[in-house]
Amino acid sequence: MKSLPPLWADRILEWYCNPALLEEIQGDLHEIYDRQNKNRGKHKANLAYIWNVIRFFRWSNIRRQKSKYSTNSTAMFKNFLLMGFRSSMRNGLTTLINILGLSLGIAGAITIFIFADHQFHTDSSHTNFDRIYQITNHIKINDEIQDWSDSPIMLAPMMKEEISAVEDAGRVEFANAAFRHNDVVFNEFVWFVDPSFSSIFSFPTVEGSMNALQDRTKVLFTEEMAKKFFGDDPALGKPLSVKFQNGEIREFTVGAVIDRPVTSSFYFSIFLPMDVFNDLKFKDEYDWSYLTDATFILLRDGSTIGEVSGQMDRYKNLQHESLPDYYVESYAFHPLNGLSQDGHDIVSSVSGGAHPAGIIAMSIISAMLLLLSCFNYMNISVATITTRLKEIGIRKVVGSGRKQIIQQFLTENLLLSVFAMGIGVLIAYLFFLPGLSTLFPISIPFAFSSGASMFFLFFGLLFFISLVSGVYPAFYVSSFEPVQILKGKEKFGQRSLFSRILLTTQFVLAFTLIVGCFVFIDNAIYLKNKDWGYDYTDNYTIPLTKADQFLVLRDRAETLPFVESVAGSDGHIGYRNPYVAIDHLGTKVQTVHYKIGANYLQTMNMRLREGRFFDESIATDFEEGVVINEVFAERMNWDNALEQTFEVDSVRKTVIGVIQNFHHDSFYEQINPVMFTPVKENQFLTISIKAKPGQVGQVESTMKEAWKEIAPDDPYEGFVQAKVGEDFHTDNNANVNLLVFISGMALVLSCLGLFGLVSYNITRRKKEFSIRKVFGANTVTIFKLMNGDYTWILGISFLVGAPGGFF
Amino acid sequence: MKGNYLGELEELVLLTVGVLYPEAYGVAVMDEIEQQTGRSLNISAVHAVLKRLEDKGYVKSKMGEPTNERGGRRKRIFLLTAAGKRALEEANEVRSQLYSMIPKIALQFKLV
Repeated sequence: MKSLPPLWADRILEWYCNPALLEEIQGDLHEIYDRQNKNRGKHKANLAYIWNVIRFFRWSNIRRQKSKYSTNSTAMFKNFLLMGFRSSMRNGLTTLINILGLSLGIAGAITIFIFADHQFHTDSSHTNFDRIYQITNHIKINDEIQDWSDSPIMLAPMMKEEISAVEDAGRVEFANAAFRHNDVVFNEFVWFVDPSFSSIFSFPTVEGSMNALQDRTKVLFTEEMAKKFFGDDPALGKPLSVKFQNGEIREFTVGAVIDRPVTSSFYFSIFLPMDVFNDLKFKDEYDWSYLTDATFILLRDGSTIGEVSGQMDRYKNLQHESLPDYYVESYAFHPLNGLSQDGHDIVSSVSGGAHPAGIIAMSIISAMLLLLSCFNYMNISVATITTRLKEIGIRKVVGSGRKQIIQQFLTENLLLSVFAMGIGVLIAYLFFLPGLSTLFPISIPFAFSSGASMFFLFFGLLFFISLVSGVYPAFYVSSFEPVQILKGKEKFGQRSLFSRILLTTQFVLAFTLIVGCFVFIDNAIYLKNKDWGYDYTDNYTIPLTKADQFLVLRDRAETLPFVESVAGSDGHIGYRNPYVAIDHLGTKVQTVHYKIGANYLQTMNMRLREGRFFDESIATDFEEGVVINEVFAERMNWDNALEQTFEVDSVRKTVIGVIQNFHHDSFYEQINPVMFTPVKENQFLTISIKAKPGQVGQVESTMKEAWKEIAPDDPYEGFVQAKVGEDFHTDNNANVNLLVFISGMALVLSCLGLFGLVSYNITRRKKEFSIRKVFGANTVTIFKLMNGDYTWILGISFLVGAPGGFF
Repeated sequence: MKGNYLGELEELVLLTVGVLYPEAYGVAVMDEIEQQTGRSLNISAVHAVLKRLEDKGYVKSKMGEPTNERGGRRKRIFLLTAAGKRALEEANEVRSQLYSMIPKIALQFKLV
């Protein structure tokens, strides 16, 4: 009886072994088995057989290569590359368009990625960043819990002393102060910080050291700020006098210049020691009722934040007793690294992190642009491949499988994508990123938070692009029957429904963006040219720091030949609009209340509708006269507003004049009721000057000089009235610029695509056009033939896309 | 082409393929080597070496006729190619040349 080896072992062999090799291997094994069965018995033979099956389990036996003589894959791959290169060279223009379009899309994606990456990894440069937390307070206001950055000034020192898990704690107090170096004066935003900041955070310094925070005569600048005051000179040790808001002036020297890391989520320019703040405010008396702007703690190595939060209850009571209005529900701990993301949720946060929604929106847009460029690429690829149908046919006849043709086109795609990637990186580096940086207060470096994220981005992009743009053409083209191709029966390309849909989608997107953009810009232009309700072109205003400055400046200004009139006021239109609630017959009316000098209305070119302006010769005007705007009268339901009376701060006022409505706030906001009442000169906080037409520039230069004499410690902050309106627009402008850029790019991309497609089709139909011409077709007919198709597509996309843009 | 270096086992197998002409196949090569050198190889190792030699172009192969003893399965018969023959010659030459260069004295195992 012939015995057989164990069936299951045989099965395993049959399962893993390459079928092409199975016969010889199994044959050899069986031969050995038979021999051993005879010589050494069935049992040992079985074991040996199983052992051999295991020994044959090698990659070279498993791999399903059809045979050793099938394809030489490296040589074939080389051939693919060569063919790809040749065909790209042959269609130089289309290839160029392809690569250019793709690289634009890639550049956009890279830029946005870097931007987002930068936003989300803002503070990792601090050595202890994973142990630094900001403490915030959950405060219940109007039945709504809000997360406030402000916390009691005593919290940090007490936590450091009482909670062992807290290694160090530091506070931030904001202030405004005027800094003067020789005759350079600027109003600056200051952070008072504890000396512990030098150990909690790791700020690198260019000059000096962070220890300067312990010295109450030292000020710490960022490089930027040092440049603003001292130019390129070394800043260390330079003297400065600082005028604080309580009027106190102190002398400081620069103790350190900080190289603020570009990825820092808090934006400070000047550090002053906390001791200085204590001197100014408390004279060393601490209490729980004062709220400082931010509190940071450094966790002890190995401790968890849970250990700290468990011990916070004791502070709640202290806080509630001294601050019943600021009832803290709980304390929250924000890790430093998340601060830039959480920042927008924290009330009066120190961190200026952008809202993630903005980044998400930008990411979506850049993804769309990338998709757009991929569509482009797909379209043009499909069209170009038509010329290569013969090549495909011959490849198939010679024995190439569908898989290989797909491989071929994907390889070519990858090649082009790599090219496009290189150019895209260049474009992003040279143009897009610097461009985006100008829209934000911080500059964004061309850098990644880690090598991994860079790897992820580049390979992800490459993979995405070459797959999205390449798969359809590759599969589509490889599906043709060789016989059909070689007979010349297979026709396709410009008639493909798919490519038309792609083109239409592309243009719908582009049109939507463009129309939306125009609507936006048009709106902005409309607002710019809109009547403000008064003539602002020749008006100039200087905010005062002391009321006695008014008389000096007025006397100076009135002697100037190019000054028409000078007036003072408490509030000022567009600069400071003080709101009050006016009670009239039981209804409260929110009203802007400007307290002004007698000739302010004339100086500001207000347009009188009824009655008169203030008259200094009429004594009652000063006591009870009031000038209102039209909205005020409407809101009060007065048909005839003159001589109507109402109460302001329990003083009866009589309307002596009504002026035309004017914009006191942003144009996006409605015009509110406005009233003007006269006040004495000692209450003026601004001085307004009306220049003779076109001479406002001279007013500015003269007044600047005068200002240096009377207030050398205060920065000069005069402005032309036109600037009030401009400020309303600057927010807008950044958005408009971004939108213009995006829609411009969408248009360029789509046009590149269309141009590529059309020029390609025209070269293909050259013969047809030549023959038509020979038979007498004129240019118009040929033009129609060339563009008829596309005009339709454009028309349809416009109809679909344009209304979309209006929303 | 891959490196032309001929490993020791490869040389042995290649020689055996030549010796067994025209009946060299896996099991036969394994048996022959065991008989001649006393070195027992696993059949899978022999297969691997044969495949490698084929990749290098030193042997070529064809499927033989089906036989009864292997359950009707065919053997893959290996034949020496011209390149294989040359490789053997070269290896042999190098050896004998090196051997001849050994100073006589080194072969006289005497105590000096």
